[in-house]
Amino acid sequence: MSSPIIKILLDILRNYSTPMTLKYPSTVEAGKKYSQIPEGLRGVPERSEDKCIGCRACYFVCSGRATSIYDNEDKRLVEIFLFRCTFCAHCQEACPEEAITMSKKFEVTASSRSDSAGFVRTNLEMLKCKNCGKPFLPKKFVKRANERLMEKINPLVKDVVAADFQKVADYCLDCRRARGVELDTHTKKHVWLEVG
Amino acid sequence: MGIIDKARIYSPWLYHLHCGGCNGCDIETLAAIAPRFDVERFGIQLVASPRHADILVTTGCVPKQFIPMVKRVYEQVPEPKVVVAIGGCACGGSLFYDDDPENYAILGYPDLLIPVDVYVPGCAPKPEAIINGIVQGILKLAAKKKAAAPAQKS
Repeated sequence: MSSPIIKILLDILRNYSTPMTLKYPSTVEAGKKYSQIPEGLRGVPERSEDKCIGCRACYFVCSGRATSIYDNEDKRLVEIFLFRCTFCAHCQEACPEEAITMSKKFEVTASSRSDSAGFVRTNLEMLKCKNCGKPFLPKKFVKRANERLMEKINPLVKDVVAADFQKVADYCLDCRRARGVELDTHTKKHVWLEVG
Repeated sequence: MGIIDKARIYSPWLYHLHCGGCNGCDIETLAAIAPRFDVERFGIQLVASPRHADILVTTGCVPKQFIPMVKRVYEQVPEPKVVVAIGGCACGGSLFYDDDPENYAILGYPDLLIPVDVYVPGCAPKPEAIINGIVQGILKLAAKKKAAAPAQKS
């Protein structure tokens, strides 16, 4: 029965007894709006605001250049412009936090280019530098980067790196470099530790 | 609004303009009209000439060689008219469009040339999504006809 030819023949037989036309959108049954949604349909991408850390992985893999990232005053805006999106699910594959999922929603219409129906937007809070006051990375990104580093790091240097990270966590990347000596966070000391 | 105008709103005729691209959206547009989804039973059908059409359905990105044809077809559709852009290419240029550096062959999306009323994103959109977009177009057409009606009487 699993042979595709028998399946097709059964479909043909069924079409003789019942009308072939799918009534749209009048087939609203309990909990089932559409008469036909294929398995594995890639609809509009959805981004979970809790999980997204603003790491820009989706921005780099986006094949249609639909994803764009804007750093505003104290927010990072990650948005997908659906007019350019091809629903290829590359961003879902690349997302390290599994924040992006392809939903089953496919009925999208917009009346203008600036219509909010044509965008998938996520706002992330930015961390401001303690030294120069410049917003540089999302708060969640810094936190999650630290966690991932601590998971994989060599246990020999773990304590030193953790202590160093606490010192520089609030500084922007330029200030970290400029104040490396002052805060005693230069990387060479890890090498000395490992040597003994 | 006379009886003919009412009839036109219930069963508008479509002119399908394929500007460029991969033909995926064209196949889906035809699937929406063919028996599986069968909007033709309401009298919504494709016509051979833009002069008979109420709704202009565009698919695909616009190559530079096709610019005069897009303008000409748009001007041939009688007023009031509605343009429905179907697919990612017709909405925002999708993979084919790039503004920096500019593509030597492709202008981008039809919105740069003609006013588009309804956008249906997707690559390619399902026939249901296209039907939904055309229904939105019909609503806009009805509003435009209503606005145009008093001007014709006076």
